Amino acid sequence: MRKEVMIDASKCNGCLSCTVACSAAHIPSGDPLEALLTGEPSRIAVYSVHGKAVPITCRHCDEPACVNACMAGAMQKNAESGRVKNENTGHDCIGCWMCVMACPYGVINQREKEGRSVAVKCDGCVGRSVPACVESCPNGALTYGPVNEYAETKQRQAAASQVA
Amino acid sequence: MTRRSAHASTNQMLERTRDMGLKTIFDRYDAQQPQCGFGMQGVCCQLCSHGPCRITPKSPRAICGATADTIVARNFLKLEVHGAAAYSHHLEEVAKTLKATAEGKTPFTIGDEGKLKEVCKAVGIKGNSTKELAIALSDVILNELRKGSDDPLALVKIFAPKTRLEAWEKLGLIPGGVHSEIRDALTKTMSNITTDPVDLLLTTLRLAIATGYMGLVGTITLQDILLGTPQISEANADLGEIDPKKVNILAHGHVPLMATAVLQAAQTPEMIKLAKAAGAEGIDVLGSMCTGQELLQRSGHSAKGMGAQMGNWLAQEYIVATGAIDLVMMDMNCSIPGLKEVADRFHTELVSVDSILRMAGVDKNVDYAPEKAAEQAKELITMAIETYKKRGNDIVIPKNKAKGVVGFGVESILGALGGSLDPLLDVIKKGLIKGAVAVVGCTNNRNGHDSAGLQLMEELIKKDILVISAGCMSSAAQIEGMQDPVSAAKAGPGLRAVCEKLSIPPVLSFGSCVDIGRIGVLVTALADALNVDPSQLPVAASAPEYLEQKAVADGVFAVAFGLLTHLGPVPPVTGSPLVTQILTQDVEGLTGGKVLVELDMVKAADAIEAHIMTKRQGLGI
Amino acid sequence: MKYVIIGSSAAGSSAVETLRKLDKESTITVISEEANLRPYSRCLLSDYIAGEIEEDGLAFKSADFFEKHNVETIFSVRAVRIDGEAKEVHLSNNEKVPYDKLLLATGSVNFVPPIKGVDSKGVFGLRSLEEARQIRNYTQKVRRALVLGGGLVGCETAYALYRTGIEVTVVEMASRLLPVQMDERASEILKSDMECEGIRVITGIGVQEIIPTGFWARLFGKPGKGVQLTNGERLKADMIVLAAGTRPAVGLLQEHNPGIQINHGILVNKKMETTYPDIYAAGDVAESIDTLTGKRSLSPIWPNAIIQGKVAASCMAGRPVDLAQQIAMQNACEFREVPTISIGQVEATEKEDQVLETYRPQERIYRKIVLRHGKVRGLLFMGDIRGAGLIGSLIRTQRDVTSIKELLLHPEISWAHVADQ
Ligand SMILES: Cc1cc2nc3c(=O)[nH]c(=O)nc-3n(C[C@H](O)[C@H](O)[C@H](O)COP(=O)(O)OP(=O)(O)OC[C@H]3O[C@@H](n4cnc5c(N)ncnc54)[C@H](O)[C@@H]3O)c2cc1C
Ligand code: SF4
Ligand code: SF4
Repeated sequence: MRKEVMIDASKCNGCLSCTVACSAAHIPSGDPLEALLTGEPSRIAVYSVHGKAVPITCRHCDEPACVNACMAGAMQKNAESGRVKNENTGHDCIGCWMCVMACPYGVINQREKEGRSVAVKCDGCVGRSVPACVESCPNGALTYGPVNEYAETKQRQAAASQVA
Repeated sequence: MTRRSAHASTNQMLERTRDMGLKTIFDRYDAQQPQCGFGMQGVCCQLCSHGPCRITPKSPRAICGATADTIVARNFLKLEVHGAAAYSHHLEEVAKTLKATAEGKTPFTIGDEGKLKEVCKAVGIKGNSTKELAIALSDVILNELRKGSDDPLALVKIFAPKTRLEAWEKLGLIPGGVHSEIRDALTKTMSNITTDPVDLLLTTLRLAIATGYMGLVGTITLQDILLGTPQISEANADLGEIDPKKVNILAHGHVPLMATAVLQAAQTPEMIKLAKAAGAEGIDVLGSMCTGQELLQRSGHSAKGMGAQMGNWLAQEYIVATGAIDLVMMDMNCSIPGLKEVADRFHTELVSVDSILRMAGVDKNVDYAPEKAAEQAKELITMAIETYKKRGNDIVIPKNKAKGVVGFGVESILGALGGSLDPLLDVIKKGLIKGAVAVVGCTNNRNGHDSAGLQLMEELIKKDILVISAGCMSSAAQIEGMQDPVSAAKAGPGLRAVCEKLSIPPVLSFGSCVDIGRIGVLVTALADALNVDPSQLPVAASAPEYLEQKAVADGVFAVAFGLLTHLGPVPPVTGSPLVTQILTQDVEGLTGGKVLVELDMVKAADAIEAHIMTKRQGLGI
Repeated sequence: MKYVIIGSSAAGSSAVETLRKLDKESTITVISEEANLRPYSRCLLSDYIAGEIEEDGLAFKSADFFEKHNVETIFSVRAVRIDGEAKEVHLSNNEKVPYDKLLLATGSVNFVPPIKGVDSKGVFGLRSLEEARQIRNYTQKVRRALVLGGGLVGCETAYALYRTGIEVTVVEMASRLLPVQMDERASEILKSDMECEGIRVITGIGVQEIIPTGFWARLFGKPGKGVQLTNGERLKADMIVLAAGTRPAVGLLQEHNPGIQINHGILVNKKMETTYPDIYAAGDVAESIDTLTGKRSLSPIWPNAIIQGKVAASCMAGRPVDLAQQIAMQNACEFREVPTISIGQVEATEKEDQVLETYRPQERIYRKIVLRHGKVRGLLFMGDIRGAGLIGSLIRTQRDVTSIKELLLHPEISWAHVADQ
């Protein structure tokens, strides 16, 4: 069964460990300090909703609006892993921001890379057994497990109800 | 994300800065969200290079083995040490100035000889002349600051109510010299020295008592002797009071010494002539934060000619953003780094007037030295006039203006009541006034700049509870007209009647944050008059928007003093159930005071009222 | 089953993918008049003209896309007629292709304005790779270009030509640039940005006539060619790109129509069915219902072509689904490092419309949201496009946002704020 990052916002205390770990996981050295210094963006964001921290990242949708919108063919959903990403897919992101416009969760951002503006989003930590954000969360707010409808609903409810 | 100030003028300036593309404190606050829960709970330790460690369900102990209780208590004490140190710096500056003044080396003259004599008598200083007494008193205070921690502080013994002394003695809380106390506390907070959370918390009480009687009571007493005891007078406030035709100097910070010298010099024909030659109509010294409050409350004597109060801590960038401030003289604490960015957008010159303040990008420092104060004042004014010449046309001054009455304190209240506190006690006994609450301390962006403080004040006066304000909360009340006697209309019927009879507002301005000492003196006087312990009085303290470390020292002092102490923002202690329980419950058994954390100001007012009613019952009134 | 798709671009290729996913057995035939061996993205043609990407970079599908999906391809051939009764598509090479289900994904054609001289040398449209190649070649030889039309394609082309190092003038008949996607202020920002770069922008004036080389020399006694504007002004231009809009490509139905209703485009229902049995349409050529207005309209943008292709394919393969929540006007672009996204209605049109906006010229930020009865009707974010996707979804779903109104413009708004309301 496909595994997904589950978010239990009620457990998040806004420490941003996940964001640092995410940045670090996306540079070759994997060093968090270097990631902070070079400004490597995080692909998970923690928002403050009326003072309550709520982590949000890509849902790797079944029908990804971002993939439909991408006119360069860079954004793709991998059939096996279920991951939606725009890096190393055989087509380069050209920074047209169509995906930014399309994603209803607002989880695609802009970044500078090699002198060009490109879209950056969660790639599901391809190659890792557990995504870096999950591994780093000290509060159990992020977990990694199989998705089923029940979990998905529960997680949505939790996110919605916990942001008091 | 949509936080706003409680003040229209600040909001107008906030919009202006945003339109200019300037990022100010409201924007930076937003950018910092969400904030780390470990830090907010106080369970993050960064002392050694094993760290940072933080306490989580997965890792209940730090690498060295420290628990959440240890880390929280230690962090809390460290915060307080900062506050204690800053207060003692302030006191030292004042003591040195008093001494130099007595020696005839400063532009000041002794402002309250009566108080000097009275205090000297209490302390046991003998001398024939004012000069002798002032020098001796300064020396005593300087020595008290510096002596060992095993040598009990004289001021505590002299000024604290007997009942308090007994309670403190039992707990081993009578402190010695302040600097030594600070050293001991700081040493204890090093990694792996004192790790017992209870001892760390007792140390916060001990340090708070040292701070209370030296940094607070000692400082205001010497300031009164030097600059005069506050008198009831009228004051103007808010940005609408800025006169764009004048050279405008903003006196910003806490220590009113250089500011007083500048204010006095600004009124000399020599300086006025210089200003006029530059095309200005004159020179205004405007107040900001606590330095402003100090000048305001002495505008009847040493600070005659003082302009209006502009605002408090959170307003600083927005005051400068009017474009009409030529020079900001920054003394001691509370000049935020963000101020520089706004100043740079305009012509405004920032100058440090205190050797301990250095701000990145600010290269003009006129470090206050009592002996050179007269010259330095002229230098600052000249700098302001030079900057005035560079002032552009991009000036926006909001229309908002407010007025009020300031200068309250034991002496001025006694004066107004005809020499006795009895009339005040009478109305309290009769229940016209249920009690009094000191709403003091900082202002905070967390609740949107003064919104919580003002709401609490309004709730309290509605309940016939007299509010005494000091520090940033005093500015908050001034600007919204709550220190104007007409605002008595907002009070409950009992308080309203008393205010109207005496022509006083329901929110009394006791001055700056160091004037919390003045509130302590009043509470002591009330306790003495009723022959009870302060913890038995129908009074409470609140710092609804507490922000920085001096406020931590103030708050702990209020608890040590036996008062219910309400805090708005949650202090970073909730990561330790033990520390939380001690501060909010157990400490009551030791000192009679305790911390009440309540973010909802309506509920806070209810809880404070309930506390006051219990105390009234206890007194049989 | 035999599926036939005319057009192998956005709608056509997404239909191929979906068909093959749902039906591994049947034959799929794709007919295209273009010689494209692998699907390429028209939207990137301006970058290609600018020399910033090569032909390979235009592809949005892999090189083996058609083989991988086991598709029979008929390229460089035009479909000229549809015989609905015989269920056959007639081709320009006189062959006939039988179908069981037919998808018209013919897209748009460039609109050629009825101006004298449009057919002369050095005048181009920009729709296909072939045209882009010609333009790219031509730019090597010229100094001055004129772009006729200040819409999205016109502006993109102008910047692209400018980046090749030649002088560029844009002539737009309307009073401002991008009159559909932007409001007056945004157009103004765009215009002044273009002018700062050195691109000349002429608005409110049309092109009267394109004057070819020989004529120009005869008329003005100097070599060269150019245009005459409606105000009489003459501009020299070595090449002219027509970017005056597009029209649905319904040419093959003009001579003979089996009974497919056409308004501006081919009318389709939510299942992308045309009014004639077993014939579907998707993409630029189709006219469907817009969520926001509730009215039929064309939706000539890339994402809608992709989605419609999928919906059509699903219905063709016997898994009927409905086209949902589609907004015709949605665009993202970036000119001069200022990203811009506009969705839906970017201006107040009714009395009850309410506008929220932030305009900070120093930071080059302009954010605007149009509300009606507590629901978002449109957005225009310039300079700072954060939150556009989220607000866009609020437009598509027409969710009530009254309680979070003051957060809407904030760049840090997240879907948690929306879920929390
Ligand atoms: C320069 C440019 C920039 C653009 N930028 C953007 C952008 O930034 N964002 C955006 O959303 N959209 C943009 N678009 C629009 C976008 O490209 C179209 O919406 C999209 O390509 C529509 O896809 P489609 O499959 O419906 O049709 P098309 O892409 O037009 O493809 C139709 C295909 O069918 C073929 N065809 C037509 N008739 C026949 C026939 N009779 N026989 C055989 N073959 C036929 C055509 O040759 C063509 O290959 C841009 C377009 C252009 C030209
Ligand atoms: S980026 Fe957005 S649209 Fe794309 S898969 Fe993730 S959540 Fe879905
Ligand atoms: S690491 Fe966990 S607790 Fe910390 S911000 Fe991320 S999700 Fe929240």
